[in-house]
Amino acid sequence: MENMEAGLREEAGKLLREKKVAVIVGYEAGTLPLTAAPCFITEACEADKLVLNPFCTQNLATYVTELIAQHRDAQKRLKPEGRTKKVVGIIARGCTSRSLTIHLQERQYQRDEVVILGVPCRGYADVRKVAARVDGREITAGILQDDKIIVTTAAGESAMPLSEVTADNCLDCRFNNPVIYDLMLGTVAPPMDPSGEYARVEEFAALPEAERWAYFVKEMDKCIRCYACRNACPSCYCRSCFVEQTQPQWIDRGTGRADNEVFQVMRLYHMAGRCVDCGSCITACPMNVDLRAYLKKLDKDGWELFGHRAGLKLDEPALFSTFREDDKQDFIFEPE
Amino acid sequence: MTETPEKGGWEPKIVAIVCNWCTYAGADLAGISRIQYPPSVRIVRVPCTGRINPFYIVKALQEGADGVLVSGCHPGECHYLTGNMAARRKFAMLKSFLNYLGVEGDRAVFTWVSASEGERFAKVIRQVTAAVKALGPAQRLVKKVAGQPEACAAEA
Repeated sequence: MENMEAGLREEAGKLLREKKVAVIVGYEAGTLPLTAAPCFITEACEADKLVLNPFCTQNLATYVTELIAQHRDAQKRLKPEGRTKKVVGIIARGCTSRSLTIHLQERQYQRDEVVILGVPCRGYADVRKVAARVDGREITAGILQDDKIIVTTAAGESAMPLSEVTADNCLDCRFNNPVIYDLMLGTVAPPMDPSGEYARVEEFAALPEAERWAYFVKEMDKCIRCYACRNACPSCYCRSCFVEQTQPQWIDRGTGRADNEVFQVMRLYHMAGRCVDCGSCITACPMNVDLRAYLKKLDKDGWELFGHRAGLKLDEPALFSTFREDDKQDFIFEPE
Repeated sequence: MTETPEKGGWEPKIVAIVCNWCTYAGADLAGISRIQYPPSVRIVRVPCTGRINPFYIVKALQEGADGVLVSGCHPGECHYLTGNMAARRKFAMLKSFLNYLGVEGDRAVFTWVSASEGERFAKVIRQVTAAVKALGPAQRLVKKVAGQPEACAAEA
């Protein structure tokens, strides 16, 4: 891990010095132990802030659309011939690179507006799993030693192997190495085990309808509609989101049960063919709503009905922007 | 109408979002041919099924519709060539997703009715009404207005 960090800083510094990118989006050490936060580096001398470790949970692609959109807005006042492109450098593992592919498929920016520093990924640590290991006590210090996390709390030190606290979405990850990149750092990581990725969806789908509904109601009742999931999600880049629209007003403000449910149904549905299972929404959710049970279902349907996996190929259209004449239509009602 | 609801009985409210070029004309044909079908359906005319935001369906359920019927041209017969085929994908995913959540699958129905199929339109409405009636009033995703929980039911 240390080797890759050094290489990363060097490459990031080089890109900035050569003015190939205006900004590098990466991770820096967080303010709390065992955390990492996104950072934006514009000067080569700051590149030493960059870190890369199993606490880098967030999908950075979410910032690329925002940075480029802001830049384009600022350029509007200039004459067309005076406008420039802002090139964003980004540190991308498998899921981040797939999110970037989705943006490119959806024509949010051009391929030359982003420089992708690919890094292999062996999965990140789930903060909730770590917290459960120390019974929710406050973590005062933590270090990563080889493949073990050593956590210090008021009750003393405890060590846990990284593999036991790896996030669920990383454990069944199918694409842990970047699918597109301009520069690959480090060596290709060994594949994870995606064989059981839909096991939970299948188990859930087999439950009786009333139980499934009861579970959905129970989960969505937790939601406080802070929209952290939407803000963390790289695929939720709409500048005007349906939750804030007032003409028409799709959902009311407040946390009424039906409004929560409808918000979640629609946000989840917008992820059809666009969810890369990066787990950013799940990490961001303060109420621990089980979003993955539903996101995986959409992923499974996209694959099983239409052979589409989110963000794999640049030349492949997005799931809903294309169709085939022989798409399955067994759900169409035929009167007798 | 011969198929008037029994007095005091519950009749479902079904929102039918239909394509201007096929199903709407099909419904018109059913009307001018005097084919009987239940008066449970409220038609919303749209230019094409491809124009339907899947949110319309969820929103209709939230606002108290007991069923939502979406109907357009048969694949290959779209006035805009491919609108219905683009829509088909969205609806396939939506229906599967609603079922998975636990919203009764029969509440959202998708079908194709062409302009010449008045009889088929009437059949669809009859069968969908019967299916929704069997399910009873919608309970899931429905927004109940505070203080007047029966607002939707009373209106019907």
